[in-house]
Amino acid sequence: MTTEFVLNGQNVTVDVPDDTPLLWAIREQIGLTGTKFGCGIGMCGACTVHINGRASRSCITPVSAIKGASIATIEGLSANGDHPLQRAWIETQAPQCGYCQSGQIMQAATLLVDFPEPSDEQINQVMTGNLCRCMAYTRIRAAIKLAANEMKGEVSNG
Amino acid sequence: MAKFPNFLKPEAIPAKEDTPRFSRRSFLIGASAAGFTLAFTRPGMGFAAAVEAIENAAYEPTIWCQIGSDGRVTVNIAEAEMGQHIGTALARILADELEADWSKIDLHYVDSNPKWGYMVTGGSWSVWQDFKPMSQAGAAARIALIEEGAKLMGVPASQCRARNSQVLAGKRSIDYGEIVSKGDLTRQYSADELEKIPIKPPSERRLIGHEAKALDIPEKTNGTSIYGIDAEVENMVYARPLIPPTRNGSSINSVDDSAAKSVPGYIKTLVLDDASGNVPGWALVIAESFHAANTAAQKVKVDWTPGKTSGVAEKDILDHGRSLIEDPKSGALVVNDEGVDEAFSSADSTLEAEYITHGVLHLQLEPSNALAFEKDGIWEIHTGNQWQSLILPQIAKALDVTEDKVVMRTYLLGGGFGRRLNGDYAVPAALGAKAMGQPVKMILTREDDSRFDSIRSPSVQKLRMAFDKNGEVVAMEQHATAGWPTQVMVPDFMPEASNGVKFDPFAIQGADHWYSVGPHKLRAISNDLANETFRPGWLRSVGSGWVNWALESFMDEAARKLDKDPIDFRLNILRAEGRNVGSAPNSVGGAARQANVLRRVRELSGWGQQLPEGTGFGVATTYGQERDMPTWIACVARVHVDRGSGQVKLEKLTLVADAGTIVHPDGALAQMEGAALWGASMALHEGTELQQGQVRDTNLNTYTPLRMRDVPEMQIEFVDSTEAAVGLGEPATTVVGPAIGNAIFAAVGVRIREIPIRSEMVVEALKEMVY
Repeated sequence: MTTEFVLNGQNVTVDVPDDTPLLWAIREQIGLTGTKFGCGIGMCGACTVHINGRASRSCITPVSAIKGASIATIEGLSANGDHPLQRAWIETQAPQCGYCQSGQIMQAATLLVDFPEPSDEQINQVMTGNLCRCMAYTRIRAAIKLAANEMKGEVSNG
Repeated sequence: MAKFPNFLKPEAIPAKEDTPRFSRRSFLIGASAAGFTLAFTRPGMGFAAAVEAIENAAYEPTIWCQIGSDGRVTVNIAEAEMGQHIGTALARILADELEADWSKIDLHYVDSNPKWGYMVTGGSWSVWQDFKPMSQAGAAARIALIEEGAKLMGVPASQCRARNSQVLAGKRSIDYGEIVSKGDLTRQYSADELEKIPIKPPSERRLIGHEAKALDIPEKTNGTSIYGIDAEVENMVYARPLIPPTRNGSSINSVDDSAAKSVPGYIKTLVLDDASGNVPGWALVIAESFHAANTAAQKVKVDWTPGKTSGVAEKDILDHGRSLIEDPKSGALVVNDEGVDEAFSSADSTLEAEYITHGVLHLQLEPSNALAFEKDGIWEIHTGNQWQSLILPQIAKALDVTEDKVVMRTYLLGGGFGRRLNGDYAVPAALGAKAMGQPVKMILTREDDSRFDSIRSPSVQKLRMAFDKNGEVVAMEQHATAGWPTQVMVPDFMPEASNGVKFDPFAIQGADHWYSVGPHKLRAISNDLANETFRPGWLRSVGSGWVNWALESFMDEAARKLDKDPIDFRLNILRAEGRNVGSAPNSVGGAARQANVLRRVRELSGWGQQLPEGTGFGVATTYGQERDMPTWIACVARVHVDRGSGQVKLEKLTLVADAGTIVHPDGALAQMEGAALWGASMALHEGTELQQGQVRDTNLNTYTPLRMRDVPEMQIEFVDSTEAAVGLGEPATTVVGPAIGNAIFAAVGVRIREIPIRSEMVVEALKEMVY
């Protein structure tokens, strides 16, 4: 079965069984390995991508569900790895082993769309689904706030 | 190829004079003397020349770094990069002595090779173990560069100094890159000459102790960091294992893959025959994609004869532990001072308590995986790993080849935490590749990984303390039993105790504390039922983690019995006398430094202030991982307990650590944060139990490590010190659990002696309280 969709702005076609999780189509057929496998049941967040702009767990999303959809992975979040979140992640030195961080950043990206000035409780609610086994949570939170501040500044500076 | 002494025989290492205790440091010095060979490589100098230098046992600066004609310095890192930014820390040490421009540093994580010496990353050892060799490598290289730079400038070397990747003489200068292109940098140092190279005084450090951004971080923010699970090679097929009902002793009677044949991409199922003994009873489902392997694996029917432990439950393991403790003949007498029994029989009063810990999964977020293939007669294993030197011979045995025919290619680790010290997952991938005659990439699902985990064993401990009529401690005993990872996986590493019984040092460390308690008896007992039922593993903080759950809870109980403040009680017996006085270079100050961090955490935490009802402070202090490499650490936890639900909310952690010289300050802070939260997670959020010979919890639906919303307020401080740099990957884990248990007691008066602490336990204990 072939499935067509848009990935990071490019039209792609994958030839895999319909029930193949999007995660494996991205990693194996397309060859982008920034999106990670952690649990397979949508409970760690390492596989988080954007589907039509919404953060989604690609390990439990079959390709049949995303025909024609627009998918973004960490590789497509910015042209040069310089999204405010990515720069904030470096500034706060958030990653330790780094394996969860693609998913963390992709989840945080939609958090900031929904809550441009997120409170701690909003950060808890949206980000708690992303497990960081190294427990770098303090810095992830700080990075989200740093990026939010910067993006707010950009908006108000026109 | 270079020959190295057999490090696996402790007899090969000079014993310390007065103690039967295994000295990890002696072992590592042994590794250092023969394994840390150094050789410059100029462009064009081949590997063979470096090997020859090694064979001659002469030290040449330096294979630990290479300088290109463009002046870029590549620092070779033999440690596993798994979140601790070890490459950055070690490069800072070398670059500081080298007087290199930090912006010109690159890291290269090396593949397995004897020239790097013994390859292991764990135990919070790396900075401590490598500080001197990396300093010597940098200094030796700097001296060679100054000498050559001086020649090229036509001035005496004594008039030159090195700074920022340049050799300077007055107003003249020459870049390192130019020296490399034009000079002759071949040098050899004997071990004695290397020892004589002076290392910079702390006042001259320009990099160590100063802030830096970790070099491995940028790629971890944009999807370009490559972990073992991302490895690929042409013509590879995928594999998912079929894991037997027991870790040991299961065997396959038959395999029926008829239902799998309809899965597109399914190839076949292999029954593995593993001469190394790592994966008994395993089969591998092979397919064109991981999804196909995963789908097919669920349709393959295997008939196993299970091993004899298929009915073992957690209670069996704990009860067996209790019976082992009750048998006075069992176990290793790791410490056996004279007069313990007499002190107890003549004591004015005594205290006794039992403590339990349940199993813990590593749950490193990147599940176990390996890609294996043969190329040009060499077997390549592509995976993240923490102990190449341990598993490589076993891979060779499984493949029936000599060790020089196997190489482990290095990747970033999506979490180690000790899981990847046990490289058993490399073996089935190799066996699969051999059977298929093509590359096999094996990935475990999360459920597979949990079932195949070498868990932190459940443990049972009994502690006793004797007091005189003045409330002074006059004797103490600790008896600790659990599955022993080192016995199961590296039995040659076990030292011998005074009663002739070998013991696992990683299953008793933490108990050999720095308190003055009078005669002390320390007995370490191997839980053989645990060892048979599962493969016990080394898990972040190892023995110190679960031993200190008991020890620091018990210290609190002793203080309470004597109606003393828990901090005052501990300070009173941190006397830094006798065997606790400490020694150079690693434990200068001894117990006095532990007392110091305890006093400081008291100041910082607000200890003693009035707290709302149901809220309490608890304290704990330890020496980190190793008596010979102590990291002095203390923690105050503030918790609130809801009397109705029994729910424990961790509100704040205050931690003070004295880790000697801090090389990479922000990296050190990050390790304190992560390690402390691991301690909180194991105390309050995560744990599993054995049932039917397997772990009960295999995925995040029922196994629940600490999440973003569970993070407490944290305040962390380091003691400013120029003492020897010791470890930080694990120590904070050792203090948080008992501090929480002690805080619960302070809050609502109930003593929980079992982790993970569940709200039902607290409710039950509150009901049982007698006023």
